[in-house]
Amino acid sequence: MNNQPPKLWLRFFRWYCHPDYAEDIEGDLFERFERQIELGNTGSAEWRFASDVVRLFRPGLIRPLTQKKQQQNQFDMFKNYYKVAWRHILKEKFYSFINVTGLGVGLTCCILIAFFVMNELSYDNYHEKLDRTYRILQAYKSGAEMATAPAAEEYQVWGNAPVGPAFKEEFPEVDQFCRFTPGHSKLIKVGDELYDEKNIVFGDSTVFDVFSWELISGNPKSALAAPNSIVLTESLAKKYFGEDNAMGQIVTYNKNRDCLVTGIMKDVPSNSHFTFDGIISMATFYDQRPPIFDWWGYVDFYTYFTLKDNTRIEDIKPKLDDLAAKYTADWEDSKFYIDVEPLKGAYLNSTAARQPGKTGSISNITIFAVIGVFMLLIACINFINLSTARSLERAKEIGIRKVVGARKSSLINQYLSEFFLLALFAGLLSLALVIFLAPYLKDFAGLSIEPSDILNIEFLGIFLIGIFVVGLLAGSYPAFLLSKFQPVKVLKGSFKSGKSGVALRKALVSFQFVLTISLIIGTATIHNQLDYLQNQELGFKKDQVLVMEFGFDGQIQRGIEALKDEFEKSPNVSSVCASRAVPGNFFPNAGTTIENPEGELESHSPAIYEIDPDILTFYDIKVLAGRNFSYNNYSDSVEALIINNAAAKLWGYNNPEDVIGKKFDQWGKTGEVIGVVDDFNYKSLHTEVEPLTLRYEPFSMAKFSARVSTSEIYSTIQNLEEKWKELIPHRPFTYYFLDNNFDLQYKSDEKFSELFSSFSVLAILIAFLGLFGLTTYTTSQRIKEIGIRKVLGASLRSILLLLSKDLSKLLLLSFLIAVPISWYAMKEWLESFAYQAPISLWVYLITALIVSALAFGTMGWQSVKAALQNPVNSLKNE
Amino acid sequence: MGKYHLGEFEEIVLLTVAILKNEAYGIAIIDEMESRLKRSVSIGALQTVLRRLEKKGFLSSEFGEATKVRGGKRKRYFSLTAYGKKVLTETKEQRMGLWNAIPEFAFSS
Repeated sequence: MNNQPPKLWLRFFRWYCHPDYAEDIEGDLFERFERQIELGNTGSAEWRFASDVVRLFRPGLIRPLTQKKQQQNQFDMFKNYYKVAWRHILKEKFYSFINVTGLGVGLTCCILIAFFVMNELSYDNYHEKLDRTYRILQAYKSGAEMATAPAAEEYQVWGNAPVGPAFKEEFPEVDQFCRFTPGHSKLIKVGDELYDEKNIVFGDSTVFDVFSWELISGNPKSALAAPNSIVLTESLAKKYFGEDNAMGQIVTYNKNRDCLVTGIMKDVPSNSHFTFDGIISMATFYDQRPPIFDWWGYVDFYTYFTLKDNTRIEDIKPKLDDLAAKYTADWEDSKFYIDVEPLKGAYLNSTAARQPGKTGSISNITIFAVIGVFMLLIACINFINLSTARSLERAKEIGIRKVVGARKSSLINQYLSEFFLLALFAGLLSLALVIFLAPYLKDFAGLSIEPSDILNIEFLGIFLIGIFVVGLLAGSYPAFLLSKFQPVKVLKGSFKSGKSGVALRKALVSFQFVLTISLIIGTATIHNQLDYLQNQELGFKKDQVLVMEFGFDGQIQRGIEALKDEFEKSPNVSSVCASRAVPGNFFPNAGTTIENPEGELESHSPAIYEIDPDILTFYDIKVLAGRNFSYNNYSDSVEALIINNAAAKLWGYNNPEDVIGKKFDQWGKTGEVIGVVDDFNYKSLHTEVEPLTLRYEPFSMAKFSARVSTSEIYSTIQNLEEKWKELIPHRPFTYYFLDNNFDLQYKSDEKFSELFSSFSVLAILIAFLGLFGLTTYTTSQRIKEIGIRKVLGASLRSILLLLSKDLSKLLLLSFLIAVPISWYAMKEWLESFAYQAPISLWVYLITALIVSALAFGTMGWQSVKAALQNPVNSLKNE
Repeated sequence: MGKYHLGEFEEIVLLTVAILKNEAYGIAIIDEMESRLKRSVSIGALQTVLRRLEKKGFLSSEFGEATKVRGGKRKRYFSLTAYGKKVLTETKEQRMGLWNAIPEFAFSS
């Protein structure tokens, strides 16, 4: 039998009744109800209950409509929380300092890393038609591998000219296409000034339709339509014409083409995968060399296209093979492949070769994001450790507060407000640091952070939320722990901090150690690897080589030998040679047929390198078999080929002697292989040495290499420049050192390494700052114990041993966890290098030593101080 | 002394509270009135009057101890204040004065 009054009516009563009267009237209602139930009339009991409730609904008994505001002291209470928090922070300056600095530095790194990651992710996002813009990828296969479709890495962005127009003609889905050429060195004359421009490109007139680059002046539709027109970026216009209006001015390209400036555009944003300083109309290039615009085998263009609205790239993809086959039907012995990739994300995801500009790396982004999270974790752990360790100090305060009537929730609020305050200080510190560091970072990592990036609503909003989350993350455990204290125990004095707190602290410290050790091992391995790369035997001498460029200048090519002799006469120059490229540059591939050991003609596409006979001696490249090119054999420039050992192996010759005298056919040359050179690393150590063929090609030269002695470099260069001006007055003198240029290939690795190490150092610093604070505290807790031990005759050594026993265990455990993790992670990272430094045991031993030394040093400072103290001081007051 | 005229129901409530002395809480008052006057009274009507009389100062109240019955709610015990007693006595005297002034014949007819 249900003898509870009807709930709904009761609720109604409670809702309307005046709070002062509610209790006793409700009691009366219950009493009546119970009496009816006892009499056995349930139905009538409920009925009467309801009727009483209704009849109680009278003006004298209902709660007032405008409830008089209860005098709330919430605000005062919060004010008080912050006052207490502030006093506590001031009282414990040392621990507050450790907390605020650690968290501040951690947050700074997080913010910087966040900016870095966001910048990487923002590449090309400013293009309005990004979602329907795609790039055409091309691949050429010849010989035996012809029929197998190329792998993603074998496609290249750099391709032929006619594929763009063919796309537009064959696929109704395609809206516009736009081609660029790479920014080879171009000779530009403005007035009387000569410039060697590395980054002026040819571009189709559709460029401002496909991409969202902003024209400041000029008509975006027609600026690049006519031959001999050029669009300059703002900075290039400034370089050429200063403050004058550049529009309508004349810029002379290639000594004979007067180009009209038809537009000025804003500089290409730095977060673009492809950047340039100026665009000359593609029509100009067409004017110069019309045939290449119909050659499917001539490669010099990057092609982009946009789709029409409401069309899908999936509709085009199946038709690509047919298009390739249709236009290259007459190709024998080689095959053309096309693929497309979206521009969106191309910067980070594209694996195609021959990119038009720099590319990002998802794995680097991930690594840095992980480091950022690590740092924040380490800083938060400091926070948690110090606060829980020091909870004893505040146990009495909590006890009193509870006795006086503080609820658990208000204690939690109080402690959280204290941690929020600390987090806020840390946040302010980190903002200051970010603003202070921003200019350095621009030089260091190419990342520009403007004050306006920081002082805007969005950033500050996210920042405050971040601070709140960090405060909650770091503060919630201590706050809940502290508020759980039982006042009776605390005030009686029998209170000891719980075992669980100690275990947690140990776990967190071990976790910090694991992170620290992993970061140190990572840093050491990365340094090791880069060192290894730069000191790796390249197979040629790259030091003290000065490279002077002349960009395929026909006039120079005709008198090349005489010029070489002239430069050689210059003081401090020991030898000079000429070539199309120098190691570290790009080497094109060419379909090549060579007789294999079975006597059949076999086709592959090795790289080709056009050189003069001096180069092998100049670079000290070993000839394994046969002979070098010779000036005395005229036929060497027509029917002779030298290959490297990798190429010999590709054609099936394990002994280089055997390939000498075999027939070859390559790019209009036929004849015999006359020599085999040892493998030298003509690209970079990211890749293995690939098959290479060397041709003597007097009319394909673009660079002089001069070996200079290290003394008086400056005057040597000056002499060379004077000679250059005398001999080649029509070209500017541009030079660089080969080793610098070659090492540029490792620049991104080095940048990565530097960033990684600096973040690691900071992370380690924060971790040890925390350890320092923690040991300071725990040692001070045991000061009496130490005093008693000393009184009883313990030696300094035994006390130190006692104090460091726990730490040693933690360190050992952390090593056991960290070593396999970091070993695995570094092995993955090393996979991207063809030449990997062996993972040496030394790295681990040294890391172990460093971390132990730091940890014991941090701890020892306090321990020794405690152990040396006169026990009288610690024991006299109880 | 300020003239206050008790209503009929108010007077009855005050009298009942006086009768019950230390046991005057809501239900007890209702029961007493029902048994003596054969008059049914709703909680609502009674409580309104009780609060009004308390506000006027004729009654005072205090909570009793909580018990297991009544849903664990405490009883509110009412008692007459000195002022309440005075007003009640005055009312009675006025009535008596009126009674005494009635001529004999008028009543017997």
